[in-house]
Amino acid sequence: MLSPVTVEVVRNSLPAAANEMAYDLQRTSYNMMIYEVRDYCCAILGVHGELLAQNVGGVSHFVADLDVIIQDSVERFGVEFFQPGDAFIMNHQRVCGQHLNNIVTYAPIFADGVLFGFSMVRAHWVDVGGLSTGFGASGLAADPWMEGLQLDQVRVISGGEPDEQVMRMIRDNIRYPESSMGDLRAQIAACRLGERRIEELVSRYGMDDIRSSIDRIFVDSELRSRQVVEQLPDGEYIAEAAIDHDFVDRDDPVSIKAIVRISGSDMEIDLSECAKQRRGAVNSRTRAAAFVAYKALTAPHEAVNQGSFAALKVTIAEGTFMMAQYPAPMASWSTPVPTVVDTILRALSGAMRDRIPAAHFGTLGAPMTFFGMNPRTGRRFVVQSIEGGGWGGRPGEDGASASVSICQGDVRNAPIEGLELKFPILVEERSLREDSGGPGRYRGGLGVRTRVRSLVDGTWSMSMPGRNICPPWGLWGGKQGTVGYYEFVQDETSAFERVDGGRRMARSGSITWIRTGGGGGWGSPLYRSVDEVLMDVREGYVSVQSAFDDYGVVLKDETLAVDLAATETLRAKRLRDTTEGAIV
Amino acid sequence: MSLVIATDIGGTFTDLVAFDTETRAIVHAKSHTEPEDLTAGILRCLRKSGLQLEKAGEFVHGSTIAINTAIERKGAVTALLVTRGTRDVYSIGRGNRPESYNLMFRRPQPYVPRYLTFEIDERLSSDGTAIIPLDTNSVRTALRAALEGGSESIAVCLLHSYVSPRHELLVAEEAQSVAPDTYISLSHEILREYREYERISTTVLNAYIGPKVSEYISNLQSALIGEGFIGRLSIMQSNGGVMAPDTARREPVRTMESGPVGGAIAAGQLAGRLGIKHAVAFDMGGTTAKAALINDGVPEMSEGYFVGNEMSGHPVMLPVVDVIEVGAGGGSIAYVDSVGSLQIGPQSAGGYPGPICYGWGGVEPTVTDANAILGRLNPDSFLGGEMPLNFEVARHIIESNIASPLGISISEAAQAIVDVAVNKMALAVRAVSIEKGLDPRDCALIAIGGAGPLHAVAVARDLDIPMVIVPPLPGHYSAFGMLVADVRHDYVRTYFQRLDELDPVVLSGMIVEMDSDARKLMSQEGLASEDISTEQFVDLRYSGQEFTLRVQIFPEEIEREGMDDVRKRFDKLHQERYGHMAPTEAVEVVNVRLVGIGRRNAPAIEPPTATGLATPVGNRSVGFTAKSGSIARVASIWKREELAPGSRIDGPAVIEEYASTIVFDVGDVAEVRGSGEIVIRLAERAGPN
Repeated sequence: MLSPVTVEVVRNSLPAAANEMAYDLQRTSYNMMIYEVRDYCCAILGVHGELLAQNVGGVSHFVADLDVIIQDSVERFGVEFFQPGDAFIMNHQRVCGQHLNNIVTYAPIFADGVLFGFSMVRAHWVDVGGLSTGFGASGLAADPWMEGLQLDQVRVISGGEPDEQVMRMIRDNIRYPESSMGDLRAQIAACRLGERRIEELVSRYGMDDIRSSIDRIFVDSELRSRQVVEQLPDGEYIAEAAIDHDFVDRDDPVSIKAIVRISGSDMEIDLSECAKQRRGAVNSRTRAAAFVAYKALTAPHEAVNQGSFAALKVTIAEGTFMMAQYPAPMASWSTPVPTVVDTILRALSGAMRDRIPAAHFGTLGAPMTFFGMNPRTGRRFVVQSIEGGGWGGRPGEDGASASVSICQGDVRNAPIEGLELKFPILVEERSLREDSGGPGRYRGGLGVRTRVRSLVDGTWSMSMPGRNICPPWGLWGGKQGTVGYYEFVQDETSAFERVDGGRRMARSGSITWIRTGGGGGWGSPLYRSVDEVLMDVREGYVSVQSAFDDYGVVLKDETLAVDLAATETLRAKRLRDTTEGAIV
Repeated sequence: MSLVIATDIGGTFTDLVAFDTETRAIVHAKSHTEPEDLTAGILRCLRKSGLQLEKAGEFVHGSTIAINTAIERKGAVTALLVTRGTRDVYSIGRGNRPESYNLMFRRPQPYVPRYLTFEIDERLSSDGTAIIPLDTNSVRTALRAALEGGSESIAVCLLHSYVSPRHELLVAEEAQSVAPDTYISLSHEILREYREYERISTTVLNAYIGPKVSEYISNLQSALIGEGFIGRLSIMQSNGGVMAPDTARREPVRTMESGPVGGAIAAGQLAGRLGIKHAVAFDMGGTTAKAALINDGVPEMSEGYFVGNEMSGHPVMLPVVDVIEVGAGGGSIAYVDSVGSLQIGPQSAGGYPGPICYGWGGVEPTVTDANAILGRLNPDSFLGGEMPLNFEVARHIIESNIASPLGISISEAAQAIVDVAVNKMALAVRAVSIEKGLDPRDCALIAIGGAGPLHAVAVARDLDIPMVIVPPLPGHYSAFGMLVADVRHDYVRTYFQRLDELDPVVLSGMIVEMDSDARKLMSQEGLASEDISTEQFVDLRYSGQEFTLRVQIFPEEIEREGMDDVRKRFDKLHQERYGHMAPTEAVEVVNVRLVGIGRRNAPAIEPPTATGLATPVGNRSVGFTAKSGSIARVASIWKREELAPGSRIDGPAVIEEYASTIVFDVGDVAEVRGSGEIVIRLAERAGPN
């Protein structure tokens, strides 16, 4: 009989190995996309791509889409092909379905002389040639060749021997080889660490007990998720949203439709009625949005494995933008994902009223990307930071301000002092945007505004998915949040230009404003307590004007004293005039 | 003046350990803590132990006042003065959400409201030059507004003040005239390192707890003086050293995490004395187990930590003994969850009602109950027999809550509880050793805390650690650590430069400045110059990396040979720690650090007085882990105080003492050292267990 202790040991040890891989990778990586943005994941997979463990933290949407890489590799090469000491590199979009900056490395794990599975790291490189510098080519790349270097299941190390020719070819075709080859070294070291940990585990407990434990762990995870889903009424739940455009066809919004079907403890998330694949680069091949939403609703605090998603069916039709066919451009693959997650949550908001917040700002932060050559040092540089935005108000509480999106977990902005020590810029302001949070009984969190002055000539990349036609929505009578955008000017005396996806050649002294959106409100703002509205005004989160217009609270100018009688009359009148259906 | 006294105030109990340097006698006492009058517990302990304070040359004190003031949010109304444009940096923080999938995540709640945060017109660049000179009018306006807003304390954190403190010092001058009586903390004095959010957070915490902790220390001083104390009072810090009360009043944030470090300090000195290169201090109490790595007798340090928790806590970027804690202690509750898997903790039955077998009304099975059922604890001599254990009820509850749902016997269930707890604790020990690149076969485990010796051999076996050391007084080791701690002050300067372009004049300038600060402070604290020493370090990384490794430097060596050897040591360390290195790539310096150490005369515990050959006091059946679940073996039972140096005991055996029990299995061998430690060598592992 399998000992309950062995099951617990394996349950703890598998994620511990993945977390250890992640810790080492982060500590030794060479680009901020890994050490600050945590745009990576580390995982242990079985021979058929089943997910045995994945690290906690980091970019949430990496929870999906690792299995297909192993399945493709095994199908292509056969299991006999893999040898101890091998390592592979992969970013090809026909399988990976993400921007080319996301470089996957994996290594076979052998235990007792047989192939047990693979250790894998997916991490964002700062450049893979083409237009990929920084956060990626975003909307600019019309196809994968324009985007950068494509690597299709390339064995870079055979039996412990690096293939120097392939390494040189990679090195010659990327802009920051010191950084990226350092990252490759760190990725492979992390894979080797994963191999060692699994070998140790198998040698300690034996293959049979390990396999039985893993089966048991999968069943447990599945059961935990089912226990949540079976509480929800059976039925079909639908919500729709959109982002403004795909960066190419700027008058044609990218529509999103989430259909969630619940039957007993089974859930299906059907995204097949989303827009067809696009000419612009918002395409992908990903189940990430469905996985992230499901995980957040079922077992947010537990380590993930194959069982976590066993009771979820994800349906995405081939040829739609999240299941696009190669060579559709995918350089901006992840930009719609946070909004798709929100749309799935919105579909279920009636069924899980006390567990679903209003929409968050819904973009992958506002990226700060400025690059060029510093004439003083003679070295190339890339400035990068992720500025967070506002989250939606939630049952019982205001939304958090200035936080990274649902697709980003332990992702950090770059400190002002660190940026200025390393790069020729000045960050002149980083502050919260007054009135950017959607008014509500529970207010949406605030977005951020950041002002950057360049001290040398260089290039700014300014790309965020537009949310103007569908700003972050409120729920139950809460109002929408304010959207984010960039502004740019070559010199302070001229007028700022609003930039929504694009690059600008910037002269020394140029100014860029980066603004992120706020979250939607939850419940009618007319029910927010007067004290809380007053506190928000005092703190500068809400203006006197918005207190009146949105919250129906009348403040006397200067003293900010509340005119209680006028407030009561105003709120009563507004409530009578409200025609919206559900307000809380 | 022969007495050295240490007191450790915890949430429930105040602990006192005293050492008489003439007689080498050790006294300990415990009393309950009164949250409203913390010194009362100390005075009760003194009376209980019959110690005369006028004979005390030293009084070392550790307390939770700093951390509790922060966590309970009972500090001063605090204002924050920052550079124009950075008013919201404190609340924006780093924007991260460590709980990736949690839709209801919480960010740290600032200790300063936005309306008490004021922007000053000034701006330094990253090399310290003033892009915008400081406008003193804006300072005065801000200070007045802060006072009008009811501020009792002020934190100042200006951008790049770690390079040039000039502007912060000008703010302090204005404050001296506008608000002379208000507590003030300047960020460059607290933390001279880049990263504004972390520096603001650390400085704000200092200002927030400052007035309350200062008052507490003053009250303590007068209470002690009132009892006739004329010796030196020292306050325990998070970095494992002590400092003078005046320093603690200025920088109380340095005491925030002093609670868990005492054991690691004493274990470090023990490892040093025994010449053990790598050891892990393993400290298990009622609620948690803690692990800290010790290299060459020195506990590993971490650059910072979070107050509250890592998910939504406040960063404090000050050196702290690197302690990894897991929610597995004697009182941790075992249960079978909704999918039928056995879980231990983090919920704990605490000190009261505690485990079921205490008989105080506990109804949830704990790790201690499982140990009692397995015969690993002696029901009659727990706490020297002061507290008889009754485990009949515990057996029934473990049967219904654990054994039946899992379909196993009661003893298998009890063994499973112990084993899962052991595995959890082993993960913490792993995290500070194996995951830092150490081979466990080169390590020793030093077992302390009430429950540490009971589980240490099993933890060591789980990790292939070949040796467990149980020092004398394992149950009082934390307070004992305070008795033996040195004075310690940490200094840091950010110096951002490629190693091959480093200017030795700048480097030595920084070192000289920090060195003279350290020596000046410690001589003010009453240390003789021959007892003061300093060590220098640089934080290095490959160009392009963010995280650094700390490498010790020796000014004479640099003068003689430049930075070549420093560079080589860094490559080697990187290889050991992470399994790869890049000897041809550029390396950068990020920070220069200096540690000032003031040596105190550490007391040594009296060696065992027993002589001759001890005999076991009896035998009993004890449950041990086995492939099949649990196996009962007849173990010999020994009293520790009867064991003379040189005694050798073959497992299976149990060695009992007042506040602790050692259990080891067949094939393991224990030996008593001349200095009183019990060293257990573990049986060689024979294949998969």
